[in-house]
Amino acid sequence: MSESQLRRQWGAAILLPFVTAAALALALGPRGEAADAPPATVEAAISPADEAFFQEKVLPILQDNCFQCHGGERIRANLILTRREGVLKGGDHGPAVSLDNPDESLLLAMISYKDDRHQMPPSGKLANDQIAILTQWVHRGAPWPAELDFTTAQPEQEVDLFEQAQGFWAFQPVKRPPTPTVENRDWPTNPIDAFILARLESEGLHPAPEADRITLVRRAYYDLLGLPPTPQQVDAFVNDTRPDAWERLVDELLASPHYGEKWGRFWLDLVRYAETNSYERDNPKPHAWRYRDYVIRSFNANKPYDRFIIEQLAGDELPDATADTYIATGFYRLGIWDDEPVDREQAFYDGLDDIVTTTGEVFLGMTVGCARCHDHKIDPLRQRDYYSLLAFFRNINHFRNGGPTDERMIFESEAARAEYEKREAERVQRLNQTQQELIAIENRFRMLASDSELPQKDLDDLHYRFYRDTWDALPDFDTLKPEDTGRIENNLFDIRLRTRDEAFGFVFEGDLIVPADGQYEFFLHAADGARLLVAGKEVIRHESNNNIRQQVTGTIDLRAGRVPIRLEYYQRLDEFGLKLAWAGPGVKKRLLSAPDDAHADKQLGKAPELNKDVAALILGDTGKALLGEQVVREYDSLRKRLEALKRPTRAEHALVVTEAGRDAPDTFVLIRGNASAPGDKVTPGFPAIFNLPEPTLPTPPENATTTLRRSVLARWIASPDNPLTARVMVNRLWQQHFGRGIVATPSDFGLGGERPSHPELLDWLASEFVDSGWNIKHMHRLMMTSSTYRMAGTTNPEALAKDPTNRLLWRYSMRRITGEELRDSILAVSGKLNLKMFGPSVYPPIPREVMQGQSEPGKGWPTSPPQEASRRSVYVHVKRSLRLPILESYDAPESDFSCPVRLVTTQPTQALGMLNGTFLNEQAEHLAERLRREAGENMRDRVALALQLVTCRKPTETQIARGVELIEGLQKDGATPEQALKYFCLVTLNLNAFVYVD
Amino acid sequence: MSDNKPRNTFCRRTRREFLWQAGAGFTGLGLIDLLTRDGFFTRKAEAATTTAYVNPLAPKAGQLTPRAKSVIFLFMYGGPSHVDTFDYKPALYPLDGKTIPVKTFGRGGRKNEGRVVGPKWKFKQYGQCGKWVSDLFPHIGQCVDDIAFIHSMTADSPIHGSAMLMMNCGRILSGHPALGSWVNYGLGTVNENLPGFVVMLDPTGGPISGAKNWSSGYMPATYQGVILRTAGEPILDLKPPHGMTDAMQRRLLDTLREYNEEHRFDRPDATELAARIASYELAYKMQSHAPEAVDINSEPDYVKEMYGIGEARTDEFGRRCLLARRLVERGVRFVQLYAGGAHNDSNWDAHGDLEKNHNYHAGRTDKPIAGLLRDLKQRGMLDETLVVWGGEFGRQPTAEYAQGTGRDHNSYGFTMWMAGGGIKGGISVGETDELGAAAVSRRLHVRNLHATILHQLGLDPNRLSYFYGGLDQKLVGVEGADPIHELIA
Repeated sequence: MSESQLRRQWGAAILLPFVTAAALALALGPRGEAADAPPATVEAAISPADEAFFQEKVLPILQDNCFQCHGGERIRANLILTRREGVLKGGDHGPAVSLDNPDESLLLAMISYKDDRHQMPPSGKLANDQIAILTQWVHRGAPWPAELDFTTAQPEQEVDLFEQAQGFWAFQPVKRPPTPTVENRDWPTNPIDAFILARLESEGLHPAPEADRITLVRRAYYDLLGLPPTPQQVDAFVNDTRPDAWERLVDELLASPHYGEKWGRFWLDLVRYAETNSYERDNPKPHAWRYRDYVIRSFNANKPYDRFIIEQLAGDELPDATADTYIATGFYRLGIWDDEPVDREQAFYDGLDDIVTTTGEVFLGMTVGCARCHDHKIDPLRQRDYYSLLAFFRNINHFRNGGPTDERMIFESEAARAEYEKREAERVQRLNQTQQELIAIENRFRMLASDSELPQKDLDDLHYRFYRDTWDALPDFDTLKPEDTGRIENNLFDIRLRTRDEAFGFVFEGDLIVPADGQYEFFLHAADGARLLVAGKEVIRHESNNNIRQQVTGTIDLRAGRVPIRLEYYQRLDEFGLKLAWAGPGVKKRLLSAPDDAHADKQLGKAPELNKDVAALILGDTGKALLGEQVVREYDSLRKRLEALKRPTRAEHALVVTEAGRDAPDTFVLIRGNASAPGDKVTPGFPAIFNLPEPTLPTPPENATTTLRRSVLARWIASPDNPLTARVMVNRLWQQHFGRGIVATPSDFGLGGERPSHPELLDWLASEFVDSGWNIKHMHRLMMTSSTYRMAGTTNPEALAKDPTNRLLWRYSMRRITGEELRDSILAVSGKLNLKMFGPSVYPPIPREVMQGQSEPGKGWPTSPPQEASRRSVYVHVKRSLRLPILESYDAPESDFSCPVRLVTTQPTQALGMLNGTFLNEQAEHLAERLRREAGENMRDRVALALQLVTCRKPTETQIARGVELIEGLQKDGATPEQALKYFCLVTLNLNAFVYVD
Repeated sequence: MSDNKPRNTFCRRTRREFLWQAGAGFTGLGLIDLLTRDGFFTRKAEAATTTAYVNPLAPKAGQLTPRAKSVIFLFMYGGPSHVDTFDYKPALYPLDGKTIPVKTFGRGGRKNEGRVVGPKWKFKQYGQCGKWVSDLFPHIGQCVDDIAFIHSMTADSPIHGSAMLMMNCGRILSGHPALGSWVNYGLGTVNENLPGFVVMLDPTGGPISGAKNWSSGYMPATYQGVILRTAGEPILDLKPPHGMTDAMQRRLLDTLREYNEEHRFDRPDATELAARIASYELAYKMQSHAPEAVDINSEPDYVKEMYGIGEARTDEFGRRCLLARRLVERGVRFVQLYAGGAHNDSNWDAHGDLEKNHNYHAGRTDKPIAGLLRDLKQRGMLDETLVVWGGEFGRQPTAEYAQGTGRDHNSYGFTMWMAGGGIKGGISVGETDELGAAAVSRRLHVRNLHATILHQLGLDPNRLSYFYGGLDQKLVGVEGADPIHELIA
């Protein structure tokens, strides 16, 4: 609708206001008796003056600026401004007008445009006279004739989703159903088959016959290992005549270490696994690969699923926490992260949203994230439920891509930790010792040289980080992105490194060289705010935004040697800068900051002479003359030893979750998801639909570093009583084996998701899963040894007509192998696959043309040498903004969100890569070499071997002849024999028989 | 919220099946099924057994009457300064060098005062509409009667990373599909021999966040942008490997098809197998069509001259503009051209020397863009081609550093323009304040720009949705956004 149309409509409305029944009732009813309307709406008729004022002055402003979104075309923020009752009742943010405190009225705050959060109407600030009119109107008590109601937008019908969800299957406890009876008693191998067959029989359908052995062995290899079987492996199964050959094969594959690689990848899809953060820099996350290895190891070890859940959600809070359970909490750190967010507060909640959403979808199959800004539209999830879940995570330190809040040292054992701690303590001790020995020599030199001006080097290894912004108080600089960083050569706190004179900040970090044990005093002059930390302790904190130039001091006891020093500083306007001096044993009051001519201050002592370097003098001729060669040599070797000792003792680190202590800040419902609009306070709790009592939160011990809240959530999720957890997981396993979940929306078991095709089977599986001790391999075995799994993919016109999507499983659904399986299979067939497991990720070559899409081509992708580049795809570095073309093109997931189902696309660009791409052509070459090596001189043998490698079957005569004919034909076209064989190999790698699994 | 009852504000209650494919390709049954259920696609479901190949990018009708068939988005990466280009601020010149109170927010954080950098170029009036345009764009100035300027654009972020995602994908959060992906999802492409969403990068490199800017996010890979190069192979892996002649490739493909048809014989109902067979033929056709599409040698000299091809300064961007026209002519739905790439002064990000930066970037794009508009018009293509110009944000009226003319980013107010595709010419919408620091009247958001683009293509921005993560996702967000009606002819 155009604006002019709108105006016309409003014009009509003004001439002929429609009087609603409600308004009539209000107008006619006795004062104060209208129970369900705010009493304020029921007032005596307004004065003619007020009415005229409203009609002539106020109404036109509201019509032109507010009605469209608040009652006219739509109702934004649940706020209706097209009738008085709506104004007083207000919307999501509260009443628009307060009759008691007119000046506090939200309406007035909004039209004042006082900050980014208060700007209405959004299209631009009203004119001053319009603001004056509305202000006056509010002060006059918002007069508005009760019968004038211009509301034309229909509020969405309120549906009680809780009522609708009464008895909804997914929220009911899992009950183990009896195995149904079937007519065809011979077909079922285990209860799964009874459920499937019962349903087929009820539709008058019959299961497909059992697949042949080659089909089965290939299917099993792909489903459990993600790799093709070798011809020997095929033969071994085909020739195994024992009655339990199939069961043996399944067990053998489940025991293979490559099982964890295939199924680990399945889990990595769900947990949005990536090793970089996205956004401009898309920097790598530290040690993310350890989480990947943890997942692979967990699947291989057949870790009970409940334990797997608890480790990832609360592995750090376990009483028996180990390196592995810490690594598991890397789960929290895998999401996207903007290192320079536009709004830090909002970004903090975006980080928590990633966690709440992922946790809800992955473990519970609930799209909890939809309730962040408002109650869920489809499921019985209130916004309050979202924030009650968020409260479990509220105390998590926001991700900052490394440092003590994201990384943790890990040790294989307590003994290893003790060994590390011992070595590190020794190092620090020796470092301080060496430093003292250096100071002693320097002091002697100073005395002998009788040059009291010779500077003492107070600061060493000083680095700076420069920031730009306006702050009202000292920020947490470690969470901010610096504009510039670097080493300070003169080793003085130096704010001349700034690029502008207002709105900036610095963090300086380095070592303070303490000449002797004793108390030291620090003297600070700073404009707006500064903080000094020495040896990890805060010595001075100064915040005076009114720019008082007073001196602030602080003292600390220090031991001789080297201690870390850190100075934070910010400045708002172009004013007085920074001065810092110190004094104490062996230190006559002197500056640690760079001299600044404009603000020289004699009180703080002299700045060190920058042109005199004691070390250079000692190591030069003067040193030799005064101290003797031997002392100089000793001095030199002490300096070298000092450098070596500065390096911390090596230790392994993992990416982990951490919390900010044992007490969590309060959690509030955020109105419309807005971080700066807190609503009701909430405590950790489970969604109301589960009808559970408030969880009892543990009191963490005094020395606890977390609230232990996540353990409470983890235990509830991993509980046998949780109606969703087991169902969701067995459904995912089913989906991987049968191509489609019993619930086709595996991360959405809510009212908006699909209904289960076989609800009883799902419950039977869930109950079996829990009873087995959450045994994942047991479930694989059950599914794979069923007759259902072993069916052929044979078509059946009758069944196809009745159930074209095979929802009822009357046959096995063929599937295309995944991008990872495709790449791994190509390497396996070409003979180049490197089956080395675990460790930091690898970087197979990416064409230059693709790199060209990066703002710094090649950045973050240090191409690996060929052997490393030929490892399985699960070990390929997952960089959010740069993906390996073959994986990207074959639908590897966009890793920013959890991916519950791989989409399968077929497009010509895939064919281009498979025909013309470097990777395929190289591998075709390797395959050709392999054929020459393994199949001898005979072209027929070579062709046969190639076809057997890719299809797992011995080819027919026609198939061999076709290949030979191609090779001969290509040579007629001018190809060399080598080329011709290679191109034939390229054809084999492109076969549908290779890319699809029956 | 006072009550605990669920309420419904803006997520539409539509229960749509999750993109599900039952083991089939995204082509074939799954897709037809989905499209039919989606309601607004006109394609009728065909019997699965008779479907040989359904291109997921097959053309579809939109929900509204389309005014444009294609979009050419000229992305001025880095953020051109609006006060130095199209947003004339006479009051700013005399303030040059003066420190004044003004609220700004850029990569250098929030500031409450700053030193004004007066506009570095003079403005002149052009056209019948008398639009003021700076001397940076003497050629575009000639086209103002075909252009609608939006001076009151606002965005959610003044930081490149999130702002680029906002302009391209509608959110400051990573992982959402790009505008071009939405267009192809909604409309498909009429030329299956070319990709439907083409991105042409600056020779200096891609924009920051690289492929995230043309990613299809949670949508199928079918809808992601394809990089097209003006030199060498236009599309990745388009050329057969060295030594493979066309005859050899044809033979190879024929053999491949024979094997695959034989394989399909036992699986007659597997449409995905047919689709994959067909995809090789399409790829083969693409190999010959794409080079033809990018071969500008057949263009007459006077056309090349219009685009500034052959002139050192404008040749590179001119070629890409001409390519954009050729692609649109061949049915490509969405073409995005980056003017500027990589970092710092390789794009419009003028933090240091404003004059040097903008003279360079305007100098190499002004004539080609004007040439594109004129060429489209003379061919009668402008009516159905929507040209969009602008960056991820604008720039501040004040200096970023103690020294120099560099301006920091500004998302409080900036200028974008559109031409063709059913957009009125010679008009301007919205205003910034007298300094150009912030939009003050008819403030518009990137979502309104996106809504306008979708609307012109015949897609209802508030109805074009993709079910993901439990809700109907939209480019314009769950709350929706209106097109800018004043611009629509």
